[in-house]
Amino acid sequence: MQRRVAIIGIGYTPFRPITPELSFKEMMFEAAQRAYEDAGVCPRRDIDAFVTCEEDFTHGRSIFNIHMPDNIGAVLKRIHTLPADGIYGLADAYMLINTGLVDVMAVESHSKASNMLTPNYLVAHAMDPVYNKPLAYNPYFIAGMEMNRFLCETGTTEEQCALVAVKNKANALLNPQAAYGDRITLDDVLDSEMMFHPLSRLEMSAPADGGIVMVLACEEKAYALSDRPVWVRGVGWCSDAPSLETRDWGKAVYAQLAGDMAYRVAGIGNPRLEIDFAEVDDTFAYKELQHLEALRLCRPGEAGLMVEEGGTLRDSELPVNVSGGSLGVGRLDEATGLQKVLEVVIQLRGEAGSRQLDDVQVGLAQSWRGLPANSGAVAILSNE
Amino acid sequence: MPVDKVTQVAQTKPLHGEIPVYAQYTFGIAGEKFFRELKDNGRLMGVKCPECNLIYVPPRIYCERCFSELTEWLEIPNRGVVHTFTVSHIDLDGNRLKEPVIVALVKFDGVYGGLVHRLGRVEADKVSIGMPVEMVLKSKTKRVGSILDIDYFKPV
Repeated sequence: MQRRVAIIGIGYTPFRPITPELSFKEMMFEAAQRAYEDAGVCPRRDIDAFVTCEEDFTHGRSIFNIHMPDNIGAVLKRIHTLPADGIYGLADAYMLINTGLVDVMAVESHSKASNMLTPNYLVAHAMDPVYNKPLAYNPYFIAGMEMNRFLCETGTTEEQCALVAVKNKANALLNPQAAYGDRITLDDVLDSEMMFHPLSRLEMSAPADGGIVMVLACEEKAYALSDRPVWVRGVGWCSDAPSLETRDWGKAVYAQLAGDMAYRVAGIGNPRLEIDFAEVDDTFAYKELQHLEALRLCRPGEAGLMVEEGGTLRDSELPVNVSGGSLGVGRLDEATGLQKVLEVVIQLRGEAGSRQLDDVQVGLAQSWRGLPANSGAVAILSNE
Repeated sequence: MPVDKVTQVAQTKPLHGEIPVYAQYTFGIAGEKFFRELKDNGRLMGVKCPECNLIYVPPRIYCERCFSELTEWLEIPNRGVVHTFTVSHIDLDGNRLKEPVIVALVKFDGVYGGLVHRLGRVEADKVSIGMPVEMVLKSKTKRVGSILDIDYFKPV
């Protein structure tokens, strides 16, 4: 039995650089409360299963996922916890509902990045302990090396990458929930401090705090509970080789294969024509371009040109990261992917206010798990 | 009862914490062999997958493409080319480095994989992708069986 699956509730806390007044558990509680109110469900009565997506050490504690159930209403219920990006959790909920195992499920992810005092070390300790970690470099060198190879293989320019930061930060000015909206120029980006050549400071997303919860349901429950369900048409995910030495440094192969899977599940043959808008990972400005190519939303090597010609602006044929993306919203640890999904849902519901896109039916959300990972997931959503 | 929120930053008091975690890492079959050869004989070793015709550096006992067990060891030349590189201006604590470090992935002819290390004896603006480089080892007495037994790679 294959069942259609819809997102029927969304709840989130505003994405802010710091959140001194709430513990991460209270932040999750607030996001969950809002999502359940939005869906019109009681978690104790109506939600069959829960999944959360977080990484242990980002919270300064170990095995912290054992403390998940209480603040989202999941005690004495089925919950599983993933050390993965939020779109993986969405994919889990999709599968469990699609196959008929559960009817209503909640997905949660959050970031409390502002509490982490030594974020670089978290990434550094994730590197291969024998071949990479002893070098003791700031692990963002990986991004600089990847950007350099991407530019070399595709002929994309540093200016084209910088334009992504200009666009996304401008988009974020229309998103009241975004932490890093700004009106900046190409020169501002190019003149910002060189961090990991050719990657400059304004091309790197800054961390933000925030919690996101979504409620998903089978078709029957979706129609009973919601008058504006957003359908999950397809999901996909993939991990490329984890080692720095054997991974592909020019192409985002994980995104290509995750996209191929999601397109197949959704029955999409020509993404360029069938996807109305996309929220793709832009942890670093060049990543947006690399991901657009991997997802076949432009021809190989032409993402830079497309951005330069305005082909990804809010009023263009393929608006990309109209929420502001991670560059404008802030990077949300493992909740980064769910923020992309959240924007797609808000747009498909027609609730995006001054940044609302006209006449959109199908949106794509894509995540990359961040350094030093080489994996990611894709979700394709539709309002019909 | 409504929830009363904190409205003054001065009233928020975070608790500071730390996690002292200590561990040792097993080199394993492939790592032992690689680092013993590097330390004792100054040689780079790789391992070949005959199924996929791929030579792995760093070596490993399994092929990530076909899942074969790998046992065919061979010596790798200590000269390679810069596959990609970056000039890192920031240290682990987020401070700007006085002397930026040039980090590169060096690939060797016919080898799948390579080694991540720093480049030495070259100015950052002289480095390019495809540039030939060779391994510079520490002196034998200073080698301990670590990736740091390689001092850096320098232009040929």
